[in-house]
Amino acid sequence: MKAHKLARLALLTALALIIFIIELRIDIIPIPGAKLGLANIITVYAVYKYNAKETAMIVFARVLLGSIFGGNVSAIMYSMAGAVFCLTGMLLVKRIVPLKYIWLSSIIGAILHNTGQMIVAVIVMRSFAVLSIYPFLLITGCIAGAFTGLCAQLLINRNLDAIDNKNET
Amino acid sequence: MTKGVKLLIGAVIVIFAAAVVFAIIGSKPSDSTWVDIVQNNKVIYHLDLSEEKDRTFKIDYPDGGWNEVQIKDGHISIIDADCPDHTCIKTGELRSESIPIVCLPHKLVIRFSDEGAGE
Repeated sequence: MKAHKLARLALLTALALIIFIIELRIDIIPIPGAKLGLANIITVYAVYKYNAKETAMIVFARVLLGSIFGGNVSAIMYSMAGAVFCLTGMLLVKRIVPLKYIWLSSIIGAILHNTGQMIVAVIVMRSFAVLSIYPFLLITGCIAGAFTGLCAQLLINRNLDAIDNKNET
Repeated sequence: MTKGVKLLIGAVIVIFAAAVVFAIIGSKPSDSTWVDIVQNNKVIYHLDLSEEKDRTFKIDYPDGGWNEVQIKDGHISIIDADCPDHTCIKTGELRSESIPIVCLPHKLVIRFSDEGAGE
């Protein structure tokens, strides 16, 4: 991997991490477990801009560092499960959804993220009681997913790579 | 717009609609006054809120950690805990059958139950 690309991926990871940490302080949704998932703007962007391996590197580094910085290492299983589901789903969806409908894959990513977390929660708690909150998570997830998707769309429309390449030459 | 995209948009709408329906069904306040406090999938307390006196008590988690539960005016809530996320505290009072108070780190669930159930 070229140093240039590595630096780019590291920068995106750092960005995602900053968004993630700021988001920890934003507590507006009164549903336990519901989050805006703003850090996923970077994930959605990376899914469409980089290949699967590079995106996975960004996401896993962000989840790992995020749970350490956020002081919530015990919740890493949930974050990881969500991230794996979300990532796998979006990488598959990417094959049929063109760049123009990036918000759609973001919503699907959000749905899968919630699903992954729910599955782990059911396994860990060995009880289906937590499932009753799933519909609420799905609703907020869809809305938040659409929002992050639109953010990523704007980001991609700016065509940052083109600007960057111009600066290099 | 390709067929795949249309299909996916349709799927998302269906999932969203289903979630809304289930959320509305589930969000009605419970008329039950019986509450189960479940830890590690075992019912450790089975309380009738309408008869409980106001009190607070601590629930210890065997692997370390605790939650402080408050019963006040027939409502139950978690008011303090040493978990890092404090989601259980933010949930506030237990109101609806479909949103239990959950503390994932301590595997603790507080939910409404049928009278006599869980014994």
